[in-house]
Amino acid sequence: MTSSSAAARKNLSKIACNRLQKELVEWQVNPPTGFKHKVTDNLQRWVIEVSGAPGTLYANETYQLQVDFPENYPMEAPQVIFLHPAPLHPHIYSNGHICLDILYDSWSPAMTVSSICISILSMLSSSTVKQRPEDNDRYVKNCRNGRSPRRQGGGSMMIKYSN
Amino acid sequence: MERWHAVASWTWDAQDETCGICRMAFDGCCPDCKLPGDDCPLMWGACNHAFHLHCILKWVNSQTSQAHCPMCRREWQFKA
Repeated sequence: MTSSSAAARKNLSKIACNRLQKELVEWQVNPPTGFKHKVTDNLQRWVIEVSGAPGTLYANETYQLQVDFPENYPMEAPQVIFLHPAPLHPHIYSNGHICLDILYDSWSPAMTVSSICISILSMLSSSTVKQRPEDNDRYVKNCRNGRSPRRQGGGSMMIKYSN
Repeated sequence: MERWHAVASWTWDAQDETCGICRMAFDGCCPDCKLPGDDCPLMWGACNHAFHLHCILKWVNSQTSQAHCPMCRREWQFKA
């Protein structure tokens, strides 16, 4: 993910900064079950540890999510990817990109890091098979710019977890 | 009576206490404003969800197609 290095990103807007500080406080008081945020001084990139829910295919496994916030968050969704190694899941590519509608077209500014985390855990928990997406090799090979699958025309596999 | 002090309090009549977009209190103002009140008003949608006017405008203007209510996803229409 070199393309989104700190130097290349713009500073957070006032509303983004304000909201993220509130989300951080809220997270510290009431973190979503199964998630740990390693707090750093970087408000713009959160690295969050996810533990697979008991009784699911991912029980006793932990993964790391990287959440990068755009300048105009929350008008625009954060970029959320799994750091290597990404869980084996039909909607998670081997490069960590996640196919989940709320991260793209179904984003709403009323969503929070917490609600995204819960959606991702729910996506993992409902999986019945540990495998990569069918087009994984083609997708990862063509994905040169390091961005997540924003409008890649692969809408048919995009799962809906929004309410 | 020679003089008197008038004291009044006001509050927005919204269902929630905070704006779902900026998460600031409705009785405060959006992060871009300094003073709550008429300079940073609330705006209701046809679906009855309220936001700071400045916040909902930022959301509506950032959408290339029809904007949806951030809370209920119905098509966003400003309440007449």
